[in-house]
Amino acid sequence: MQTLKSKLFFAAWLAALGGYAPLGAAAPKHDLYLSVLLSGQGQIMGGRAPALSGVYRSTDRLKVEHVGFGHIRMFQVIGDPHSADGLYLAALNGVVHSKDRGKTWRILTGWNMTEPKGLAIDPNATDHIYAGLPDGIAVSRDRGATWARMNDGIRRSYTQTITIDRTQAGRVLAGTELGIYLTEDGARTWRLVQPTSETTYDLRQSPHDPKIFFAVTTSSGALWSEDRGRTWRPIAGVPKKHTLHNGVFDPSAARRLVLCGWDAGLLVSEDGGRTWLDRTAGLPNRQIWSVAVDPDQPGRLYASPFQQPVYVSEDFGLTWNPAFFEKATAFNLTFVPRS
Amino acid sequence: MKTLSCLALAVVFSVPLARAQPSFKGPMPDATVIVDASLRRAAYLSRVDEALIWRAAMAKPGEPKTFGLGEIVSKLARREDAAACSERLIELMKAPTGDMFWMFPVTAIYYLGRDQLTPEAKAAVREAWRAYMPLRGDTENHWAMYYSSLYLMAQQWPDEPGERWFNGKSSQENFAESRDYLLHWMELTTTIGQGEYDCTHYIGEYAIPLLHLATWARDPAMRQRGRMMLDYIFADYAVETLDGMYVGAHARTDDTTLLEKWNGFSSFFGWLLLGNCPPTVSYGGWGIYFVAAAKNYELPEVIYRIGTDRAGTYTHYERKRTRHRWRNSDVRNAPVYKTTYITKDYAVGSDQGGLLQPIQQHSWDVTWAVPDPRGVHNTIFSNQPHFSTHELMMYFSENPDFMPVTVTSQGKPTYISESKLLGGSPYEQIFQRDDTVISLCHVPAGANFEQVNGFFSKDLARIEEDASGWIFAQGGNAYIAYRPLAPYEWKPLEVGGKRLRSPHGKNGTIVQAAAVAEFKSWDDFKTAIRALPLEIRLEPTPRVAFTTLRGKKLVCAFGAAPIVDGTTFDYSGWKLFAGPYLNAEVGSGKLTITHGALERVLDFKTVTITDRVKP
Repeated sequence: MQTLKSKLFFAAWLAALGGYAPLGAAAPKHDLYLSVLLSGQGQIMGGRAPALSGVYRSTDRLKVEHVGFGHIRMFQVIGDPHSADGLYLAALNGVVHSKDRGKTWRILTGWNMTEPKGLAIDPNATDHIYAGLPDGIAVSRDRGATWARMNDGIRRSYTQTITIDRTQAGRVLAGTELGIYLTEDGARTWRLVQPTSETTYDLRQSPHDPKIFFAVTTSSGALWSEDRGRTWRPIAGVPKKHTLHNGVFDPSAARRLVLCGWDAGLLVSEDGGRTWLDRTAGLPNRQIWSVAVDPDQPGRLYASPFQQPVYVSEDFGLTWNPAFFEKATAFNLTFVPRS
Repeated sequence: MKTLSCLALAVVFSVPLARAQPSFKGPMPDATVIVDASLRRAAYLSRVDEALIWRAAMAKPGEPKTFGLGEIVSKLARREDAAACSERLIELMKAPTGDMFWMFPVTAIYYLGRDQLTPEAKAAVREAWRAYMPLRGDTENHWAMYYSSLYLMAQQWPDEPGERWFNGKSSQENFAESRDYLLHWMELTTTIGQGEYDCTHYIGEYAIPLLHLATWARDPAMRQRGRMMLDYIFADYAVETLDGMYVGAHARTDDTTLLEKWNGFSSFFGWLLLGNCPPTVSYGGWGIYFVAAAKNYELPEVIYRIGTDRAGTYTHYERKRTRHRWRNSDVRNAPVYKTTYITKDYAVGSDQGGLLQPIQQHSWDVTWAVPDPRGVHNTIFSNQPHFSTHELMMYFSENPDFMPVTVTSQGKPTYISESKLLGGSPYEQIFQRDDTVISLCHVPAGANFEQVNGFFSKDLARIEEDASGWIFAQGGNAYIAYRPLAPYEWKPLEVGGKRLRSPHGKNGTIVQAAAVAEFKSWDDFKTAIRALPLEIRLEPTPRVAFTTLRGKKLVCAFGAAPIVDGTTFDYSGWKLFAGPYLNAEVGSGKLTITHGALERVLDFKTVTITDRVKP
């Protein structure tokens, strides 16, 4: 523990010198949000929590502040396109909204929607919110005031992740238990575009080329699409034995990708997914729960090894240092624009 | 995930050290059936007082840690020390914790304290319900606690805006949402069966919220529904008890109660409502929140009689449902078929096998009656030890790979152990007729633990391995013939007794129980069993043809429907309840409870209770 504290201190010292967050650089345009469990594996619902789990925010990449309520299951944070102070959460209690950066909250969904995992707002129809639920997909057309289930055509409707094509309103991809589904009519109808044997855990659209999508799964490895998600092909060289949790594009390098997963460690591709380099060395284990690329600092990567500190790398995974917490499971690391 | 055993939570939050608890430590209760209604009521209220007095006395002056929510609710129920309760409550409301397990205690305290607590204490409670966001949970017992509490508090504080509530919803919104969920759950349960059925511990997590609704809901219909659901759950419990012990198959139990059948929260209700067994330690822990409002409930005589006064041996059938399946299944709630055969000396109960519940399923056993059940492992059974991410993904929305190990640190320590005795298996198929159980296992190569475990209690009076292949045993006044279908070895158990370990994937168990009184001698029993026609085949799949002691010719083959006396057995007509005491059709929302001339009909479609004494 002393060693870890020393590392954390060293990390803060480095940061203070500008190693992690150059003070002279332009102020970050995004806040980092971390959805974490800090109470260890034994934490159960109803149990007395030894640490305050939930959502943490870092505005300066040096320190984190707790935001909102202290739940052990917070799955995703996204920004509110209507307000720089607005936040949406996918949490065990439902889809939750804050209009004041987390000071107050309102649960938007009702008793019949539990444990949303994936959450997305249509950038071309910003009143439209999509939520992936254990038993389907919920859609709101009025910023969360009312919801309807819209998963017609999806067999086994467990939905983990949702991504909206930024080029077309109502064009949405959903990662479900048995594959990737596509709707082009705002979830009124869905069609299977890529079957998988188990759950698809992450779906992303390239920030560089909107035709390109990237997905990771439980046992079908990583998948790649170059036609806006209509067809997919497997990515070679990616392990399939255990769940891959995140697959992420680097917004500052068009051909650079990173993925992470259970026992898969953290893998980086510099050539658009053709080859992969294992960048787990320097992390304390290979059970990586989440990874995020800092959009404000080229080359900076955050990763969450299971029940360890959240780590940061300034060289895209070549070297790592602990950044936040002593023992965390980060369900999600995400950057939310400040405006 | 879930989820936690309420036993573990009770230890964490609710249960002070077990000081002298009269009925827990004292002699066995007199199980004489109390015919006189007023005497029965008086005995019930006496037990209520015993628990309240004990718990209220746990608070020690100058020791705030001894003065928790349980002590406050006890004192308020007894209408004592309101000032001290108020003062302490203000402190406790500064740092709420416990999620839905916090909500119902505070709800009970507030309602009991409406005319006792100081305005400051009430304000502290009100503020806590604004500032503290409890987890809603992910199981039906969580939601029962969450929504019954929210319903009552929204009722108590009507017409308040969202800013006054932890979830940002107004009083009207919270009230409507809670009501809608509760009605939904009641309809689900009374038409296709309870999801977390026949739980030795979680019975309390339903009974307590329902009593609170039955006591404090202002809407007469919701109050009535609360009372009816209490009757429903207690009738469901009483009919499958042996001297207060919950027997047979359970959706959820734990490693302790699995062996020491009495030692579950359900026995607290046996003590309180039926008066025929001791309460568990600290009156079940959470039991104090039932006791605090218990004067507002009276167990109908017809249910009391079912639990305590039986004419003879009977077979009871139930249809339940699995809890919600999220993955690895095309159905949300698969049917569960239960059979329970009960005599005065023993009970045999089972489900059909398979993965019906995650982690804590118990599929079949024989339980025998004992003079005093405390510390006694009065049961015998086998299981196919299984764990898998497949199972956990089916019932939980968590990420898969970390879960099996994580479960073991969440109050389910044996989940991934090959010696586990708790839990269901997709590779086990069970059929019961009368007091015969045939369990067939077909574990594919490479699956976790290609074996069967059998539990042989330290409290069996005899165990004899017979050259015929049968193992003969006696527990209390029950003779038990146990037939492993494949070779086995014995492993000692830390808790006493031994485990039969049969390391073969194609496997199974036949058990035939009987009463000692049915035979002139032990040798006669053994001779009778040896004479029963039996054919065992393990290849290519396990198959057993067996003629039972009761003369039924059973043919069970893994993967095929059982055959009884030449007729293929069909589950499609299985009712929600069927037997001499409880009867209900699937989809009816109507339960008929019968004992002798007494009859009570609970009709959830019309929200009516109809009592009659049959001519």
